[in-house]
Order: sequence, then structure tokens, then C-alpha cells
Amino acid sequence: MHSELRLAVMSILAGVEEADFTYLKEQTGATSGNLSVQIDKLAEAGYIAVEKGFRGKVPRTTCRITPEGTEAFRAYVKALKKYINAGK
Amino acid sequence: MENTKEQNREMTAEESLSLISETLNSSRKEITRRSSKYYLLWGALLTIFSLMVYFLWKYTDRAAWNCLWFAMPVIGWIVVRALRGKGEQTNVQNDVSRITGGIWATFGVFACAVAAFTLAYSYVSDGALELGRAIRAMVSVASLTAEIVLLFGLAESACGVALKNWVMKVAGFVTGIGGLAIYYITGAAEEQLFIFTFAGLVLVVTGLVIKSQYK
Repeated sequence: MHSELRLAVMSILAGVEEADFTYLKEQTGATSGNLSVQIDKLAEAGYIAVEKGFRGKVPRTTCRITPEGTEAFRAYVKALKKYINAGK
Repeated sequence: MENTKEQNREMTAEESLSLISETLNSSRKEITRRSSKYYLLWGALLTIFSLMVYFLWKYTDRAAWNCLWFAMPVIGWIVVRALRGKGEQTNVQNDVSRITGGIWATFGVFACAVAAFTLAYSYVSDGALELGRAIRAMVSVASLTAEIVLLFGLAESACGVALKNWVMKVAGFVTGIGGLAIYYITGAAEEQLFIFTFAGLVLVVTGLVIKSQYK
């Protein structure tokens, strides 16, 4: 979750029920290739669930955060806050 | 959002928190902004239908034209499906959009159910079992307009609470209570339909406000 793009993806998915690849691409401004790689990494870690399907004839990839991902995201934010507060 | 996330670089704690906050906020705004088109669509439909039924009713003196209202949700549903199928590749929902969508869907179900029930009751309770008379009774005796405009005002204000938008909260209150007052003044005349014209315009304005506030 330390990379900028992975963190952005996790932040978006933490606030929505699910989001498709196009939306994530629009919101992060990342290229398709890079976004795809980072989504795979998050999925491998079990933080997000990826579902590939079709909307009509158009392929559609949908991502949603998993309970493990939510927990990891919360812990990450908590750790960040703790680290920042410790430095003050 | 600018294209700055390509290097996958590691960030400082402050940068990470800032990114999380910025991304969450940006996504919330985008989802809310997207909902504005549904307000514009339903507002336009409500305005068009209220004027159409008003003129047909007024110039033919047949209250039966009120049956056209049942076509409005069907047309709206078809247009929404077409919008989602063609132009909109992404369909994202968060808690707020789900709640506001649920509120309006509940309003639609209640409005249709109240209208259908009132029509059925008027039809059965009328000894002649005549549809035209039942519809006239539905829109004159049973205060259907007043009931639906109150439901509408409640839905609009509740969405204002969910979106933390005071314009919607006030607009809902004004439409609900104001519509009720206008109904008492105009009574059963076909002019009561202007209440729905006003409600339609309120929805259009709501859509425009959301669009401008969440740019």
C-alpha cells in the first residue's frame, strides 16, 4: 500500500461500494498498464476483489475492497497518524 | 486529478495522509456530481408531464388524462437504462448516492402505490364502476395531489440532509408545504397540476445546484 497509485486506489475503493477500471483510471490519472499492474498487486495481497465481466458487449473490470483490505487500510491510516503525531 | 501517480514512488506520512484525504474527497464529489443528471431528467419529465396533463385535462374536460402519469416512471426508467447503457461506462456508488437513490425510489413506489390504490378505491366505491368518474374522484375528492406533493417534499428534504445541501432541504420544505397550501387554494381544479410543474422545476434547479457545487 506504500506506493502512491496503490494508496490512491485503496482510498477510492474505501469510499465506494465498488468501482470499475474506467472510474479508477479517471480518478487516479494513471495509465491503463500501470493501473492494471497495481490492481493485480492489491488483489494478490487480498486487499481488493476483482471481477471481470461484460456490460453489454463491452468488457468491464470491477473492483471492490475486501474486509481484509478495509482493515489494512484502517491500520495504515492509524499508523500514519501515530507516526506524524510522534514526530510533533 | 493530475497525472502524478505513475512512478509508484513511496511517500512521506504527511503526503500519504494528504493523498488519502484528497482522493476520498474528490471521489465523493465526483459521485455526487454524477447524480445531478438524474435530477435534471426527472425534473424535466415531471414538468413536461404536468403541463401536458394540465392542457389535455383543461381543453378536453376529461380528468382521465391523469392516467398518463403512470407512463412517466416507465419512460424515466427507459431513459435511465439507455443513459447507463450508452454514455455512462462507469457506475460507481457510495453510501450517499445509494441513500439518495433509495429515497427517490421509495418516493416513486409510494407515489405510484398511493395513486393506484386511490384509483382502485374510487373505482370500486363508485357504484357505476366508471373509470372516468373514478379518476375525477381520485384527483378531486381524495387529495391525491396534496399527498404526493408532501411525499415529494419529504424526499427532496431528506436528500438534502444526506447531501448536506441546505438548498435541497429548504426546496423540499417549500415544495411540500407550499404545494399543500396551493392545493388548498386551487382545490380540485386542473390548476392543481401546476404544483407538480413547480416540483419539476425544483428538481431541475436541484440538479443544476449539485452540478455547480460539486464541479
